[in-house]
Amino acid sequence: MSIKGELEKIVGKDNVSDAIADLNLYSQDLSLLPPGMANAVVWPANTEEVAQVVAYCNENTIPVVPVSSRVHTQGSTIPKQGGVVIDLKRMNNILEIDLSNRLVRFQAGVTWAQLTAALKEKGMRAIMPLLPRPNRSVLTDTLEREVTTNMVYDYGEPTQSLEIVWANGTIFRSGSASVNGFPESISRGANPSGPGLDFYRFMQGAQGTMGIVTWMSMKIESIPKIDKIFLAPVKDIDYAQEFLYRILPRRIGQECVLLNNVDLAGIMANKAEEFDELCAKLPPWTLALTISGVQRRPEEKIAYEEKFLKEVLHNEFNALPLSDKLPGFPGLGRKLLPMLRAPWPEDVKYWKNSLRGGCQDIFFIARPNKVSEYIEIMDMIAAKNGYPISDIGKYIQPIEHNRACQIEFSLFYSPDDEQEKAMVAKINREAAVALMNAGGFFSRPYGEIAPIVYDRAANYTMALRRVKNVFDPNNIMNPGNVCF
Amino acid sequence: MSVIDKKFGDRYDTPKTPVAFDVTDLNNFYYDMQHCIKCKGCYWVEHTYSPGMNFPVRCASNLWNDFDAYGAMGKMRIGLGVQDGKLEWTDKLVEILYACTLCGACDVGCKRNLDLEVELTLEALRIKAVKEGAGPMPAQKKIAKNIELKGNHFGNSEPRLKWLTKDIKVADKADVVYFVGCSSAYANPEIAQATAKIFNAAGTSFMLMKDEKCCGNTVYSVGMYDEAKKIAQENIAAVKATGAKTLVTSCAECYRMWKVDYPKLLDISTEELGFEVIHLIEFADKAVAEGKLKLTKPVDMRFTYHDACSVSRLCDPWKPYKGERGWMGMIYPGLLRRRGRHGLYKQSRNLLNAIPGAEFVELIRVRENSFCCGGGRGTKEAFPEFAQFAANHRMEEVKAVGAEVLVSACPWCKNNFAQSAKAGDENIKVMDIAEIILAAVEI
Amino acid sequence: MSINKQAYSAIETIVGGKYISEDPAIMEGYRSGPGGYENGTGYERVMTTIPHAVVMPKNTEEVQKIIKICNRYNVPYVPYSTGFYGPRTHCHVENELIIDLKRYKDFEYDDKHFYFDVGSGAILAPLQQEALNKGAYTVIGGGGAQCSAICNLIGDGWSPLSHRIGLPHRRILGTELVLPDGELVKTGSLATSDDPFWGEGPGPDLRGILRGFTGLRGCMGIVTKMAIKTLPFQPEPLVPTGIAPNTALALPVKRVKWLNFRVPTKEAQIKAMFDIGQAEIAAALTKVPLFWRAIAKAEDKEEFWDIWLKETEESIANFFIVRVLLVGYTSEDDMIYQENVLNDIMTELGGVPMRTKPSDESWIKNADSAGMWLMTGSYVSVDYIIESLTQATVHGNTYAELKKKYTPPLMPDFGDPGWFQSFELGHQGYSEFLIYWDHREDTSGVDQFYVDTSKMNIKHRYYTSLIGPHQPLFLTGPNYGPNYHEWLLKLKNEFDPKWVSHPPVPLAHDDFVNKAPWMHAIRDWEFPEELPMPKW
Repeated sequence: MSIKGELEKIVGKDNVSDAIADLNLYSQDLSLLPPGMANAVVWPANTEEVAQVVAYCNENTIPVVPVSSRVHTQGSTIPKQGGVVIDLKRMNNILEIDLSNRLVRFQAGVTWAQLTAALKEKGMRAIMPLLPRPNRSVLTDTLEREVTTNMVYDYGEPTQSLEIVWANGTIFRSGSASVNGFPESISRGANPSGPGLDFYRFMQGAQGTMGIVTWMSMKIESIPKIDKIFLAPVKDIDYAQEFLYRILPRRIGQECVLLNNVDLAGIMANKAEEFDELCAKLPPWTLALTISGVQRRPEEKIAYEEKFLKEVLHNEFNALPLSDKLPGFPGLGRKLLPMLRAPWPEDVKYWKNSLRGGCQDIFFIARPNKVSEYIEIMDMIAAKNGYPISDIGKYIQPIEHNRACQIEFSLFYSPDDEQEKAMVAKINREAAVALMNAGGFFSRPYGEIAPIVYDRAANYTMALRRVKNVFDPNNIMNPGNVCF
Repeated sequence: MSVIDKKFGDRYDTPKTPVAFDVTDLNNFYYDMQHCIKCKGCYWVEHTYSPGMNFPVRCASNLWNDFDAYGAMGKMRIGLGVQDGKLEWTDKLVEILYACTLCGACDVGCKRNLDLEVELTLEALRIKAVKEGAGPMPAQKKIAKNIELKGNHFGNSEPRLKWLTKDIKVADKADVVYFVGCSSAYANPEIAQATAKIFNAAGTSFMLMKDEKCCGNTVYSVGMYDEAKKIAQENIAAVKATGAKTLVTSCAECYRMWKVDYPKLLDISTEELGFEVIHLIEFADKAVAEGKLKLTKPVDMRFTYHDACSVSRLCDPWKPYKGERGWMGMIYPGLLRRRGRHGLYKQSRNLLNAIPGAEFVELIRVRENSFCCGGGRGTKEAFPEFAQFAANHRMEEVKAVGAEVLVSACPWCKNNFAQSAKAGDENIKVMDIAEIILAAVEI
Repeated sequence: MSINKQAYSAIETIVGGKYISEDPAIMEGYRSGPGGYENGTGYERVMTTIPHAVVMPKNTEEVQKIIKICNRYNVPYVPYSTGFYGPRTHCHVENELIIDLKRYKDFEYDDKHFYFDVGSGAILAPLQQEALNKGAYTVIGGGGAQCSAICNLIGDGWSPLSHRIGLPHRRILGTELVLPDGELVKTGSLATSDDPFWGEGPGPDLRGILRGFTGLRGCMGIVTKMAIKTLPFQPEPLVPTGIAPNTALALPVKRVKWLNFRVPTKEAQIKAMFDIGQAEIAAALTKVPLFWRAIAKAEDKEEFWDIWLKETEESIANFFIVRVLLVGYTSEDDMIYQENVLNDIMTELGGVPMRTKPSDESWIKNADSAGMWLMTGSYVSVDYIIESLTQATVHGNTYAELKKKYTPPLMPDFGDPGWFQSFELGHQGYSEFLIYWDHREDTSGVDQFYVDTSKMNIKHRYYTSLIGPHQPLFLTGPNYGPNYHEWLLKLKNEFDPKWVSHPPVPLAHDDFVNKAPWMHAIRDWEFPEELPMPKW
């Protein structure tokens, strides 16, 4: 029997295809990586079907490529060795929203748009990255450790329990959902750790190479009662960093982002002409900081945070004009604030793809006091390769009270221009090496960066392969990614 | 009937066994050895006072040798092994027991949270070692011999009163007898002289012993119980014969012997000695408070103070204990345990803060967290390298607080520190508290 | 019989003669019990022995070399930092080597980036003081301020401060792990540079083999160095006061304050926890077992029992305290805000403030775990589990019910349901159940109760901390995951095919149940005839 025939027995005729038209949809994505074709695609309805598909593939050493989002940017879901794409989009149920324990449990196919709307109805929100694509899987983005804009919660890491399908086709629950009979249990799945090993850690940053996560429980927060946004034009990025070193450990604020003129213009512009104007007029950097009053006495919280900010600015950072408006850009703050709490609108082209069509992001974790150094390196390599420095998008995300930050450089290009694509790919590789040499840490390397990082991390890579060998001895789980 | 008996009747009827704080039988401390939890409260500075990654330890023995055996938690397990006949007396085992000044850091550290008698266990272990022919160390046997033959720690044949200068007034009869001690008499005459002059300046009449003999500190400390008891009986009789109401000493070790170990040896309480035992610190503090001693002469120095063990952790008055141990390890009757609360911390600091013109900075590890000098109780003679290690380590702390002078209240501390200071390059002066007090007195 | 002579002299060449020994007196000092955590139990008597040699390496390089020699000559070893964790951190087989890591006390502190980089010998209390000096803090785990910071972070690492700071797993940054076969893995940013400031990845996170909730007790390699995150605290000093045993930190009350409230019912107590979490305030939020207050007051066990035996089941059942630590992280105004919110909540719930000392005896710098042994001489926690507040607030009652069957030999506590607290601003809840006994009595009941709790948790569908090596793997394995034990054993065999690293962990409790006749009646689960591990 053909692969398709076997799969039909599991998921039903309507939920499997080997038609070229269908397979083409999965053969490439928005990254610069070359296309790859699967042999079949399935759309399972539930975890048991996923498990049966995986079990069959494992028996026959057929690769599986798990897909949860509707759009992909890192090349992880491009089938690199053929096989079966397992698209979990039909598994898009929100299984429970527990308001007492402030958690939500949801399937892999649930998108940001879907989840934020459902949570909003209950007065809750998820802590999210900057403007996530509305049709990305929340589960995937969270597992892939997308950095969030809100770092005031010391406990960070929203991930709790997971349901996992292993390469051998067995179904497993990690964390405190591992109790027998979950969810009909006293345990609510709030602890990510265990049992016996921290399985959730192996699934993070794994791009589906360790197993398929079919649902996740995750922490959620209340929607604040009052929000205020503060903005500051920034010329001297080091000065702004010293300010953040000063205030963020005092647990001020909710969201805090630093965006250069290119990125901010891209986000705020409604059309192309507006982008050019904004790009030209915006300050080199804009610091945006929101403060919020939460459930009780919200005005008092706003008041003491504002008071503290004012004192620090006055006494120590009077060259930083942080205020509730960005001079020259009336209404920008009012517009930006709700954007920071929501995914990108579904009916608008994603801002990174609006500029030139294509976008290559280079992102890594760094010490905030080295930001200038990294910017210099990036600019130099871009210039060396003929990429205009003024076109580079730059975004600095403080993390964990600014004890670190994520730096993201965005290189925009036309996907129809082969030369440009080659140049951007080259810059990507060269910049990654140079930034790494200067101490930048690529904690989640994708595409062409991955072999560079895993090569450098030789012993780590070796150990990782040994762990992989335990969980997926036939290497069927999304081969060709990470270091496998 | 106890509360427990009333409530539970026979349900909790653990048979009672006799227990006493009698160091001649290690079995009295079997429960204690059995219940050490290896928390190393005996090793670390008490956590509330932990100063950080520099100087976080207060057990000199275990800092000198890192194996667990050298800390109290190791020795408690070793003690059980010895009592159960599982361990043979070897050189290594004897070294483990004796490379220790019995400074009491472990006892006080353990008693921060529990009620185990660590110090008494260590004393009982040594007594057992001596009884079974394994201890003490050869150098310590020599000291015992010196005391037996010459009445002093050093075996020195010179007159014991040779320190006494003409300008010191000694009474034939007084309420106060000054017990000088071997070290002040023979090795540190400056301490004896300063102490005597302080009595004179305070207008306090004092006697000296006609034929002062060693207090027996090393003899008791190394476990030679019977010999120590004989010394105690003779010395107490000698003091009673003088009619003194108060015995004052300037040596911390003598102080502890007289106040704590003599009553322990005689199975009486400190109160029952028949006379008061105080250290110069207590005398001077009271004299200053009463206006009898005036500290008015400026002393230009930046100094720090080492809390010697025997005027700190180890000097809570002694009370004998006999009782029974029963359910859940409780003892009947209960007692208020000795936990090193009555160290002369306030009194010493009253004096030191009152020295005019001087700047007093505290060390990092103070009071019950003090780090032993490593010199006392015959340890330096048996383990000179260990004593040097401990003193050098403490001197690092002195340098860390930027002091020019180190003051302590014990001649054994002074000599051990002075040796370390001499070998070092920072030129730190070492003084006794008697000297610094006298320096502030207009004569 | 002893350690292989060639192995011994090869190791001696690495560390020097001063730092290795096989002397019997020194070995006796490394006996686990009879006192100590989980000591005075059948497990300790049956499963532990003294080492045949002890070595004290000073850094990762020396540890690696020693492990490779052990693998070559089949010398079993157990890593040991303070030895406080009781029998599970001591030798389980004959002719074993203890690798005592206390000399590795390296310490570097990057206070601007909130982490310190330490060796396995560094303990929590001095590290906390270093953090406090720079306006930061870390969690002193319930195990106590005397615990090795690294060990605590791979096995425990929570306390009431986790209400704000959260799971210890996230405080683990760049780490050096020597695998059981001697290979060295550096995790996080250490994988690609010398800078340990970041903990994740690269890619899939190998910190997954460090813990698994309460750790693998050293059977999956040795963590020699770790960068540990500190968290921002507030700038005012906390001053140590008092003389032992009555020491405490004097708190700067405008920035740091404990508050106790008495609330009328258990429901109010639970609701207080949920509400305070929802309000996103406080640095610690807990109830404590009533007998801990007696321990804090009592200087010795006689005084404890005098206080404690005045209580009854009724008095315990009707005593509801909510204990809150407020920290004005941002400013004094922050403290005022939080206190206002707290008072609002207490007013709604009928909570009455009780007199509270302006000091901290425990939790910020000195988790007084040693006091747990005061009452009866022996103690173990049969659970210390993070789950949700939903589980945490009922878990203890189930334990208390089961405990009645085993009292005596367990201490009479009038049905006290242990303690629970809020973690991660109420996203999680924590429950711990502690038991006490006198190990001079017949302790078979303690061993049986211990395993019976595992069955209780399985039956009632509670998550529990005592999985992995802590309980029989063939009992818990099929019931959690399911079959997590199969993955654990596979990974163990991958990294340690000879089982030289702390044998027979993680099958030690299975081994104990097989070896102890008084456990056979309780052994009603399926287990293999031969445990799947090499014999030592």
